Parts: sequence; C-alpha cells; structure tokens
Amino acid sequence: MSALTALTLRTMSGTLRDADLLFAVLAPVGCFLGFTLALGNLIDTGRMTYPQYVLPVVLVQAMLFGAMTTADRAARDRLSGFGVRLRTLPIPVVTPLAARMLYCLIRAVVALVAGTAVASMFGFRMAGGLGYAVLFVTIVLAFAMAVCLGADALGSRIGSVESSSQLLLIPQLVLVLLSTGIAPAESFPAWLGPFVRYQPVSQVTETLRGLASGHFTGVGLAVTAAWCIALLALFGCLALRMQRRMR
Amino acid sequence: MPDAAIECLDLAKSFGRRSSALQGVSFAVARASVCALLGHNGAGKTTTINILSTLLRPTAGSATVAGFDVVRQSAEVRASIGVTGQYAALDELLTGRENLTLFGQLRGLRHRYARQRADELIERFDMVHAADRRVSSYSGGMRRRIDIAVALVVAPRVLFLDEPTTGLDPRSRRDVWDLVAGLRHQDVTVLLTTQYLEEADVLSDSIIVLDSGRVVASGTADDLKCRVGVSYCQVTPADPVHLAVIATALADFAGLGSDCDALIDQKAAAVSVPAPDGVMTLGEVFRRLDGLGIELADISLRKPSLDEAFLSLTSTAVTV
Repeated sequence: MSALTALTLRTMSGTLRDADLLFAVLAPVGCFLGFTLALGNLIDTGRMTYPQYVLPVVLVQAMLFGAMTTADRAARDRLSGFGVRLRTLPIPVVTPLAARMLYCLIRAVVALVAGTAVASMFGFRMAGGLGYAVLFVTIVLAFAMAVCLGADALGSRIGSVESSSQLLLIPQLVLVLLSTGIAPAESFPAWLGPFVRYQPVSQVTETLRGLASGHFTGVGLAVTAAWCIALLALFGCLALRMQRRMR
Repeated sequence: MPDAAIECLDLAKSFGRRSSALQGVSFAVARASVCALLGHNGAGKTTTINILSTLLRPTAGSATVAGFDVVRQSAEVRASIGVTGQYAALDELLTGRENLTLFGQLRGLRHRYARQRADELIERFDMVHAADRRVSSYSGGMRRRIDIAVALVVAPRVLFLDEPTTGLDPRSRRDVWDLVAGLRHQDVTVLLTTQYLEEADVLSDSIIVLDSGRVVASGTADDLKCRVGVSYCQVTPADPVHLAVIATALADFAGLGSDCDALIDQKAAAVSVPAPDGVMTLGEVFRRLDGLGIELADISLRKPSLDEAFLSLTSTAVTV
C-alpha cells in the first residue's frame, strides 16, 4: 500500500511541475467556454440551454485528454531507466499501473469539479437530485478509468513517448466532434447519422445529459453502462497484460 | 564456490531464433567482493546483468543471487539487490532528495525513515548543494552519483552497476571509483560491467571476460596478464628493413613453428618475443642480434598491458 501511495504522490508532484494538473483544470474550462461562446447561439438544442446541453461532452473530452497524458506516462515508465528500475524493486508488478490509474482518477475528479463549476456559472444545474448526481459522477469516472486503461495499455505497448499520445489525438477528435455531445444528430449529414448516434461518446453524453436534467431512459442508461463495463474489462485486461516483468 | 553471492550456471539467452546474446555463461562471485564483467559492446554484459536482476528470463541455465534462484525466487532476489542501469534511472521531474525518499519508500521504509536515509546519503555522496534541485538540471556525474545512492537506499546484499562510468568525465569517473571502492567494507557484493580495462583493474577483485556471449577468461587482473605471457622483450632495429631477419632469428623464443610475421609490430617497427626468463632472455636476444651485426635503436623488457591480455583473449575466442 505504501508503494502505491508513494508512486501516486510521485506522479502528483511531477505533474504539479509539468503543469498537467493545471491543464486538467484549464481543458474543461476552456472547452466549455469555447463551445458555449462560439456555438451557444448557433446550435438548436430545443428547450435545453446550451450550457446544460454541452457540459457532458466537455467532461467526456476532458477524460479523453487525461487518457492521452496517461499514454505518455505509461510509455515513459515502460522505457525509462526509472521504469526499468521499478521492475527490479520488491513491489508487485501491477503497482506502477495502479499508481498511474489512481492519479488518473484524481485528475478526473479535478477536471470534473472544474468543468462543473464553470458551467454552473453559466446556468448548468443538476436538476435530478443527489441520486442522479452520484450516478452522473460514477459514469464520468468509470468512462475516465476505461479510456485511461486503454491509453495506458497503448503507451506501454508502443513504448515511445512522442507517438503514443499523438496516436490518440485523431480518435479523440473524431469521437468528440462526430457525436451528439456538441450538436444534436439532426445537424449532421444523414449518412453520418448512425455512427454519430451510436458511438460511445454520444451514448455516454446523452445519458449524462439525462441524469443532469432529471429524466432519462432505462435503455440509454443500460447502453452506457454496457459501454463502460465492456471498455473497462477489455482495456483493463490489455493494460494488465502489458505489465509483465520478464521478457 | 561455497560462499558465493552470485552464481551462474550455463546461462543462455536468445532473442528470437537467430540472435543469441549468451551461450552458456558460468561464473561465481564471492561474497563482499567486487567483480567486473569486461567485454566489448554486444559481448553479453548487460544481458547477464538483466537476467541476474530479474528483468530477463534466461532461455537455458540457472543463476542464483544472494542464494535465491533468479527465476523461481525472483521476489526474494529483488528484495536483496540494488540496480543501476546504463542510463540514470531517476524521475527527472523530482529533486535528488525526492528521488531518494521515493525509492526508500518503495523499498519499504516509512516516510520519516526514508527522509532520514535520504539525508544521510546526500551527505555521504557529497550532494548537499544540489539535493533540492530537479534531476533534469544535473550533470552526468551528479546524476550518476544520485543513481548509485538510490541503489543503496536500503543496503542491498548484491549491487549491480551496468557501465557505471560510461559517459562521465575523468573526475566524475574517479568519484564513482571511490564510491565503489568504499562499498567493499560494507559487506556488499558488487557486479559491475565495463568496457574499460583500467576500470576493471582498479575496482575489482576478479574479472570475467565476456566475448560473443561466452566467458573467455576469468581471474584477477594479474591472472589475466600472466595468461598471455610473463613479459615481453621488444627489439627495435635502427633500420626497419631488418625486422624480418630479426623475427626469423628470434622465432624459437616464441615457440617452435610459430609464425615469424606475427612477432612483428609494423606500426612500432619492432619485434616482440615472450621473455619468460626476463633479463636472461634479453641478454640472449642481444647477443644473438649482435652476432648478426644488426644495429639496434632500442631493446627493452616490458610487462604485457591488460589491453594486450584482453585483445589476445577475445581474439582467440573469435578464431576458435
């Protein structure tokens, strides 16, 4: 346990210096302001205000950003002398992974609080009550864990600090921009409709939006939960497999 | 060896089907001694260290470190060793002190003791002036010092140093040498790798020469020198034209049927023959050449350098 704490604190103090935690705050705040100020009056979201509509995808995007930085840290731990030395220490081989994930969770909470705080100033409300809010937070963090595990597996596998986060940039942009998170499905060309509607970012953001405003469908929640659990299981297994000590 | 801290038996490691890094390496290192693995790049030094520090699984053979099998009891091995790799293994974003404290905690020290231990090591390694700066601002020598200190945070029974002085300036190299020499008195067994014969000579009690994944010689530095020849008598004629004549005249000193040309060092314009009887041999050589009426610029007796020993040991391995 103390090895886990020590490694997590190591990442924390490192990221305070390389400003990753600062970006964890700035990314959702900046994205939210950007989307709201630039698109708020252009996109028709029906009766829902744009801040209420867009916050979920801002949070999801912040989680994806977090995953990209995890890929870099995993690659660095795989390649660097530091990471090699960790594998010669009398600590469990999964501890460095666990520490990276614990940091991701902390980073996700920071981003969640920052994004929600700024959106509240523009009128975002958790209308559904405490139970819905707890579910909202759980889904955001579960999604964050899932994508971070995937990025960690990728970073450990690729083992190149420059390319691993770059590789994630394109899917990240595609998933966020071609989702119902920023604009309703009707605003996309018809041939893109099915992808836009059913891809995980759309599913997750729609469920989050429903939870925030207090009405959602059971089917939507089930699909979102299925996405999160499936991604957690798949990426979790992959990330664990990458942590072998001996080659 | 009854009291061996490291024992390797027929260690072999191949990567893929074609390249084999180690082909049956056996050696033992006595407790509380310093042993050097000497060899060129690609000789198998780092592969050996990586197997012994549980980073690589041997393809065949076995090894024990501090009495524990490196494959079956790898957790126990990890609890007994300290490792510094070829490149400093530190978190660049942290200070030297933070790195030391972190690794202390990872070795199971409580935070308070880890801090205390870090302070001690900073003092001992003469890093007080830089301990609170980020490692990314350190020079190569400072990095290396903190790196070795990290490996000593909890006194290991066996310490692996992979090319501890590669890339260091001469002064920092001296510092590292002093550090390693100091470990001798603390019941730490050290296995280091180096490409520098001088370093192996200065630091270690025993030397193992690796070449193409095989042990080609082992023993003390003096053993290795002796193996090549007791000493040499070197003759430099005033006129290099006479080199061949001299070589023929002295061929029997090098043993019957030996190739005369091999005795000639064209670059130095000299002929060298083994001189088992020292000055007596030198006198005999002088009389013989004097009888032939060859004018000499120089005649001298010298010990073989460790370089000569190393080259002759590794080159025979290539021809075999």
